[in-house]
Amino acid sequence: MKFFNAFRKKSPWILHYNAGSCNGCDIEILAALGPRYDLERFGVINTGNPKQSDIFLVTGPVTYRSRERLVELYCQIPEPKVVIAVGSCTAAGGVFRGMYNVEDGIDRYIPVDVYVPGCASSPQLIIDAVVESLQILERKSKAIETPFKLFGAVETVAGKLSRLGMAKKVTDAED
Amino acid sequence: MKKTVQIPLGSQHISLLEPIRFKFECENETIVGVDADVGFVHRGVEQACTTKFDFKQVGFVVARVCGLCAITHSLSYTLAAEKLLDFTPNDRIRYLRMLMVELDRIHSHMLCLAHTAENAGFEALFMQIMGDRELVMDIQEAISGNRIQFDFIAIGGVTRDLTPEMVTLLHKNLDELSGKIADLIELFESNWSLSLKYRGIGALSLEEAQIYNALGPLARAAGLATDVRVETDDFPYEALGYEMMLETGGDIHARNRVRLREIMNSIAMCRNIVGNLPAGEIMEKAKGKPKGEVIVRLEAPRGELFYLVRGGGQNMLERVRIKTPTFSGIPAMMEVFKGSRYADAPAILASFDPCMSCTAK
Repeated sequence: MKFFNAFRKKSPWILHYNAGSCNGCDIEILAALGPRYDLERFGVINTGNPKQSDIFLVTGPVTYRSRERLVELYCQIPEPKVVIAVGSCTAAGGVFRGMYNVEDGIDRYIPVDVYVPGCASSPQLIIDAVVESLQILERKSKAIETPFKLFGAVETVAGKLSRLGMAKKVTDAED
Repeated sequence: MKKTVQIPLGSQHISLLEPIRFKFECENETIVGVDADVGFVHRGVEQACTTKFDFKQVGFVVARVCGLCAITHSLSYTLAAEKLLDFTPNDRIRYLRMLMVELDRIHSHMLCLAHTAENAGFEALFMQIMGDRELVMDIQEAISGNRIQFDFIAIGGVTRDLTPEMVTLLHKNLDELSGKIADLIELFESNWSLSLKYRGIGALSLEEAQIYNALGPLARAAGLATDVRVETDDFPYEALGYEMMLETGGDIHARNRVRLREIMNSIAMCRNIVGNLPAGEIMEKAKGKPKGEVIVRLEAPRGELFYLVRGGGQNMLERVRIKTPTFSGIPAMMEVFKGSRYADAPAILASFDPCMSCTAK
């Protein structure tokens, strides 16, 4: 196991998904991979394939339609994996908090390891987060972390459709 | 047996920053039909502007509609609100706002050029243009304090003033950048392998541009003379050296050339603005509550941006309607795809510079 961890530390590949952000953080991720900040010289490559990725970079408050893709992509990344939430909307909804199509942050659906602040978060902060996530990746085991429940029973609050109950943890829901 | 094959592209795809799903109907290698699905990033900004936020805060909320043309969004809303308040800003404020919009246009166009190069398979050119783009980002960071999403414009004025050090940095970086853009124009003209991927690919004719209501660089590359900067008189663009850049090809090469020449024009305009900056306050008091209805059009980097704002004399607005460039340009985009090869689809897509965050709001 130590053998594989050594390689993983040298070249963690990232998967980037835009779950409804304003593109501000996405272009900062591009800038972080570009020549001035140049994450790629550390072996960090942006892949399009979840199967080859170790780090999951997510931007944006999760919109109602992108949450299925988010959980699907998360499940397809092999363990051990690290999730980085880039930007303040990814952490708690940011300026979009409480809007009708927004789910207020990705930690209602998948477990997050590193939160990056800022609107838009700068490339320096993104690099810090990737470096931080390397240590977490080393500590993590092959054990599977389950995503939280995606589709719960439809709840109604005062006659209106409510999605608040949909993001319970699987263990909580079973209790 | 079916003659055509359906190939999806997106919603998560390495060559696309944004979640959009295309369904291409392909016959052998040629695309014959396109279906686009853009609603993945709908967040409900328009309703939030009228129910959650005060009219003074809305300018900062609509800036989050899009990361690249954020300043144009907040400027459009601010102009609309100021018209409702019967407030006219002084010349210094108007010049500073113009300066930031033009800087934003430069970095947006450069990102599009870099992205098109990457999607056509030229990673080194992508790196080169992204490296040059940092020169503009430095100026923006020095002036406004943030690289992207600078909340520079507020109702009544702008939040920061230009200092002599910023002006020195601006001149130094823009001088360096204009030399690099001149090299890029030379490269795009003369490089043979670039011409294979760019010339004659994804062409839009003038008639199609007129029929499908193309906007921005997409229309100007096809020879359609449309630019909100000359059609409205909110800002003195003509006096500061604006020129319309027209091409006739309509293909990716023409679009790239329009963008490169517009960057040169914007650099010249930025220098003129800083050179002729009038004296005055940077923030003035705008009193009252918005009452009435007003329409504002501005030229975002991608085309015409349209705002309708209606207020009823309350703190909350009654209606904010945003019509963004990509939304109006989608019919023209769909037309371009038909008849081109599937392998060219990512490069063509990037050359439109589509913005799904804007479109879905």
